[in-house]
Amino acid sequence: MTVLLTIQQLSVRLQDKVVLSSLDLSLHEGDILGLVGASGCGKTTLLNTIAGFNKPSEGSIVIGERILSDGKQCLPAEKRQVGMIFQDYALFPHLTVKENIAFGISQLSRAEQAAQIDLLLTILKLNDYRESYIHQLSGGQQQRVAIARALAPQPKLLLLDEPFSNIDARLRNELMVEIRGLLKQFKTTAIFVTHNKDEVFTFADKMAVMAQGKLLQFDAPSVICQQPNSYQVADFLQLGSWLPCQVSSTGICSLLGELDIPNNYDKQESIVYLLLKPSQLLLNDFFDENNVANAQVEYISVTEQGYHYSLKSVDNSLTDDGLSFNKLSFYSDRALSLKQQVSVKIKPHDYLFFSQSN
Amino acid sequence: MIALYNSKTWKLSSYLIALVLIVPVLVMLVGGISASTQLFQHLWQTVLPSYLENTLLLAFWVVLLALIFGVFSAAIITQTDIVFKKQLRWLLLLPLAMPAYLVAYLYTDLFDYAGPVQRSLRAWFDWQSPGDYWFFDIRTLPGAALMLALVLFPYIYMLTRGAFEQQDQNLIRASRLLGLTAKQSFFKVALPLARPAIAVAASLVLMETLADFATVQYFSVNTLTTAIYDTWLGYGDLGAANALASVLMLLVLFVVLAEQKSRTGLRHQSARPNLQRELIQLSLSQQVIASLFCWALVILGFLLPITLLIIMAVQYSDIAQLSVLMSTGINSLKVSVFAATIAVLIALSLGLYQRLHSDKYRQIPQQVSGFGYAIPGTVLAMAMLSTLGPLDHWINGLAELLGFNAPGLILSGSLFAIVFALVVRFSAIANGTIISGIKQIPQSLDYAPASLGVNLKGSLAKVHLPILTPAIFVAWLLVFVEAMKELPAVLLLRPFNFETLSSQIYQLISDEMLEQGALGAILIVLFGLLPIVLLNKSKEKI
Repeated sequence: MTVLLTIQQLSVRLQDKVVLSSLDLSLHEGDILGLVGASGCGKTTLLNTIAGFNKPSEGSIVIGERILSDGKQCLPAEKRQVGMIFQDYALFPHLTVKENIAFGISQLSRAEQAAQIDLLLTILKLNDYRESYIHQLSGGQQQRVAIARALAPQPKLLLLDEPFSNIDARLRNELMVEIRGLLKQFKTTAIFVTHNKDEVFTFADKMAVMAQGKLLQFDAPSVICQQPNSYQVADFLQLGSWLPCQVSSTGICSLLGELDIPNNYDKQESIVYLLLKPSQLLLNDFFDENNVANAQVEYISVTEQGYHYSLKSVDNSLTDDGLSFNKLSFYSDRALSLKQQVSVKIKPHDYLFFSQSN
Repeated sequence: MIALYNSKTWKLSSYLIALVLIVPVLVMLVGGISASTQLFQHLWQTVLPSYLENTLLLAFWVVLLALIFGVFSAAIITQTDIVFKKQLRWLLLLPLAMPAYLVAYLYTDLFDYAGPVQRSLRAWFDWQSPGDYWFFDIRTLPGAALMLALVLFPYIYMLTRGAFEQQDQNLIRASRLLGLTAKQSFFKVALPLARPAIAVAASLVLMETLADFATVQYFSVNTLTTAIYDTWLGYGDLGAANALASVLMLLVLFVVLAEQKSRTGLRHQSARPNLQRELIQLSLSQQVIASLFCWALVILGFLLPITLLIIMAVQYSDIAQLSVLMSTGINSLKVSVFAATIAVLIALSLGLYQRLHSDKYRQIPQQVSGFGYAIPGTVLAMAMLSTLGPLDHWINGLAELLGFNAPGLILSGSLFAIVFALVVRFSAIANGTIISGIKQIPQSLDYAPASLGVNLKGSLAKVHLPILTPAIFVAWLLVFVEAMKELPAVLLLRPFNFETLSSQIYQLISDEMLEQGALGAILIVLFGLLPIVLLNKSKEKI
């Protein structure tokens, strides 16, 4: 596959504040990239900078062979062939559905325009609304018009700013699958911004996690899920809960027992954090007398996967060493009561340790 | 996001427009301030103290009366179950369409010694001369204050009513749950919350009062505006007139600052204004008093004067009057159409500049262009004369130097000066309407055209202007109507033998012959009703 978008060392300052710093990113033709991060991390700024609504202070953005901006030049937004679907859709209220879609293709001949509009209306199931005004449409229909309008000029790259945030939760999944199919059908390369990681898992081929203007990790969603590269990434994506551990020459020790040091272990700190997914915790049988209670139920909620428990460490002699934990989450079918003391152990697996500093 | 466009021509023209609009006033102020201290001393020793005193007294009385009229009527309409509430709600706005000088004339006519009221009283009680009885004299300072208050109170009524209606009803509900009665919660919660709105409205009334010329002139109450007029037209003393205008300008400036300050408190708006309001149930006697109060305002401020005008028109109208009306009407139309069109074009250009240009200080031209709303017409006229006069002389000098015939007073002696003054004075109205229209366009619509490959021109032509069409229409109409009604600036600036509707009616009033112009007066009132209908409609929509 050929590379479509290349971003190198991109920095953006807005009102003297560094919003993006030294960002590198490249995207293949036809890829859909999901950009996640807490609000204010710079993801929308990145989108606006690619679209040409912000001026970078350093770095370059290249699509195919075409330089959109580098140190010397900055192509105006209308010449970039980059489409955008806005969070509020930004549909023109004074134009009909058809006129909205035709807006960006006035340079085509009438026949070509009509053909393009017909094609899009059919694919997006909007044929009945051709002459409707925007306020006459439902939220989902409006979004489809926004997509049709953005696709009509056949942009090289499509940007979507939180496209699903205004959609009813029940419709959202269905719509995401539908739009993903469409983008694939048109072989459109796309970047979409969201703060909801689940949307990325459903919608995107690639995932980028951002924090404070920097790109933390960029990979396939499944890879990031299995191998988050930092505490921040795992914590933001809520891939599991954290168990503090103490490292010594003999091994790694936690309030839930001793752990083997993994082969590729490279941490220098004496306190590290083990990422624990709920499925990696096991409840010990209490009838066995060897089991001493090591956790206490702090919070219970009922979910479709059974009870969800949040555990806190029980006070013991080691607690002072900063190894106490809380909000350790796991699922079980067994009914436990609040404040009940239990014994849990860690299922052996490829342990992922992180230090909090990076 | 950044603004999209950085055209240099646009930037330059925006600042230039703002500069042109503000320069005359600066010239006048400089003229006034640099007027010889001797002149000021002379003014101070002779007329200035009494003019100032009258101006301030008048302002005090008008604001006090308008507050009583406006706040009480707004409270009655929004908080109680008064009968005919739906009708009173909009009827109370109508006095705004009535120029104060018309009301003043009509009531003088009605209550004068020779008027029908006193005549009937004399006939009834068989009084022979003024010595036999006491009757109030309307042509006094308190009389002028009452006339002005009768037509200006709707400002206070309108904004206070709006404030009450926009209040978060949950605040009122909370106060009720904490044990307050409906009446207590009105005085302890609703009224304090409405205070900023009332203050803004009061300062609007204050500004209108300071700007009033015709009413006080007719009542022979010497205020600063009449002084400016007399000094210039009577004595031809530009320096003294400028000095007086500068004093008035300073007074207005204080009011503007006070207004800006109270505006910052206008944030008690609510996301839940439409919840059902619990009304205070009036007892029978309270109903009667409240109804009398509201209907008296409607009748005295609008229904009675318009009826008197209609009677006059029916009795005295003839063909000759109609032809005069036609010619003055066309003059008014000409001036107002020019002023409205130019003001709207400026407002559009500066409003879109503020919205779309990347200039860091892009709001400045728009703000500067809107400052004129506070300037009384008389002051503005002085500003035009002191700027355009010298400019004319310079042009004539240049023409003669180059061997052409001197063109005469092409700027200060033509429609140009009037239209210029009207544009400066009413740009703020156009600005306000256009800006609020622009604000309703979501920011993303500015960016969408570019993301579809359409440039600034296309975006303006295909998106912004079409969406703004209703706002453009309303802005044009509002400026048009205000320009039709404007009197003092026109009186001072009109070319020889050029009469507009309002200037002609003012002349007739001065000559105690309004009968001759009753039709024109009705026309002015009708034009005045247009924005009220518009305002009321847009308020209903909310």
